[in-house]
Amino acid sequence: MKILVTGATGFIGRNLCLELAEKGFRVMALCRNTAHPYLITHKNITAIKGDILDKESLTRAMTGCRQVYHTAALAKMWCRDKNDYYNINVIGTRNVLELAGELSVNKVVYTSTCGVWGPTIKHPMNETDPRIDGFAIDYERTKYLAEIEARSYSAKGLNIVTVNPSRVYGEGPITDSNSVGKMISGYLKGKWRIIPGKGTQVSNYAYLDDVVRGHIAAMEQGISGNRYILGGEDISFNTFFSTLQNISGKTYGMLKLPQKFIEAYSRFESFKTTLTGLPPVFLPEFAARLRKDQKYSSQKAITQLNYSITPFEEGMARTINHIKSL
Amino acid sequence: MNRLTAIVTGASEGLGKSLALELASREIDLVLVSLPESGLPELANFIRKNFEVKVTIFEADLTLAENCTSLFTLLKSEELTAHILVNNAGLGNWSWFEDMNLGFYKKQIELNVIAPVLLTHLFLAQLDEERTAYLLNVGSLAGRFVVPKKQVYGATKSFISYFTRCLQLEMERANISISLLSPGGINTKPELLVLNHTLKGIAKSTITEPDRVAYEAIHGMFLGKREIIPGGVNKLMVVLNSILPGFVKDMIIKSKLKPVVKM
Repeated sequence: MKILVTGATGFIGRNLCLELAEKGFRVMALCRNTAHPYLITHKNITAIKGDILDKESLTRAMTGCRQVYHTAALAKMWCRDKNDYYNINVIGTRNVLELAGELSVNKVVYTSTCGVWGPTIKHPMNETDPRIDGFAIDYERTKYLAEIEARSYSAKGLNIVTVNPSRVYGEGPITDSNSVGKMISGYLKGKWRIIPGKGTQVSNYAYLDDVVRGHIAAMEQGISGNRYILGGEDISFNTFFSTLQNISGKTYGMLKLPQKFIEAYSRFESFKTTLTGLPPVFLPEFAARLRKDQKYSSQKAITQLNYSITPFEEGMARTINHIKSL
Repeated sequence: MNRLTAIVTGASEGLGKSLALELASREIDLVLVSLPESGLPELANFIRKNFEVKVTIFEADLTLAENCTSLFTLLKSEELTAHILVNNAGLGNWSWFEDMNLGFYKKQIELNVIAPVLLTHLFLAQLDEERTAYLLNVGSLAGRFVVPKKQVYGATKSFISYFTRCLQLEMERANISISLLSPGGINTKPELLVLNHTLKGIAKSTITEPDRVAYEAIHGMFLGKREIIPGGVNKLMVVLNSILPGFVKDMIIKSKLKPVVKM
């Protein structure tokens, strides 16, 4: 069976291609550059040049595919043209879903994010909880809008399941979208020496292999029109760095940067970017987020999709080994 | 002393949701009002789970006068007295006057004007005079400035502003604190704010985050502020508005409008 994967060079997409190829599926790997270094070479993976914003190339790639995994997105913190977020994440998704309907694709799995919920209060969020924050972060706003697209195509009869990974970490290339990887790699080189605030802020960390298996389970068993959080353990910055220290054996003196300082610095960075157009190191909307936890429950996926969570220490050990080998 | 109870209308989305969360974080029990099928039970469950407060929900269309009455009948039957009323529910628009139909404007005026008047009347009638009560009416900066394409919306918010300021004078001696909230654009429901991500410069700096607006609103309400204008740039705009001569303001508005005027 032929399967299309968009975002085939992305952190999740590339491993998803590999996992599907290993299972014997014929994977059509959609990428803008077929010579991309992150594209995985495998006898069952065919690189197809195309772009989710170019319907013609998308039609060519999707024709004959029974299933579509739509993982392509703009997930960076910042990009020069803010319209890119809307175009890629919302219009790109609309294009994929529209063609999936026209080309009679059996089922689509759309990769969203826990960022559609964003911050949490006391208890971990689940799929029925409301978003409690505004939409200052472009990525979150456009992924939220893309979920509305998915819902409207689902209402029109498209068989689509949405998955919402949390902060994904694991074995893969270090890119701007792989923020956890950047943090680990920076720490191992002795360059990342800060902990935000008091280090008590909690985020949910999902191990890449779990997330990839969760995607495939969503395709096989996910109920159409539903969404599933694919997360991991809720871990504080303090626990994150002490785990990193214990496993890597590297101990550095870490500086706890006061929240107020981070916020002031982020405003300076934002101002600098407005003036010079240079990429910012950090932005105010992300600094504000450090005041709040981001805890999510994967219970629905565990119950309905047999989703399983690799213990954080085990996932970290494998990730650290991988990053050391790069 | 017993806990306070607050009614928030239009609570399921946007600023109303942020106001509800801000009140809950101050351990104030809630009566949340919103249209059916707007996610109110889910929000109520979330608040009950994360805060130690009692949440009652009332799903109804407030453009029907009888629903305003039945809200207070419900409170009475549950032996609840509301100490805070937040008149937040509202219907906005950003369109040329001829482009919307009669039904839309009728609904807009019913929700933005008639409902707050009726609810305020019913709210005042059930107050316990021994306890300080709070009324927070959500107006808009659009009620202060003449903003084309917001003709009816802005007018309804001017009504709210007049109504609130008048009540402040009438009820000066009563045990109630009355505040007007005049926010600018708020970064809430993104499907309604398609323009937000294209805004630049000053227009963008007037957009504020809902949790920030909600904090300033509830903080100001408890301090007994007569008018609350969230956001530094917005405060500056209000000051500029009061000192600039009328013809300059007209020029600015017309020049802003030039690219969009359809002739």
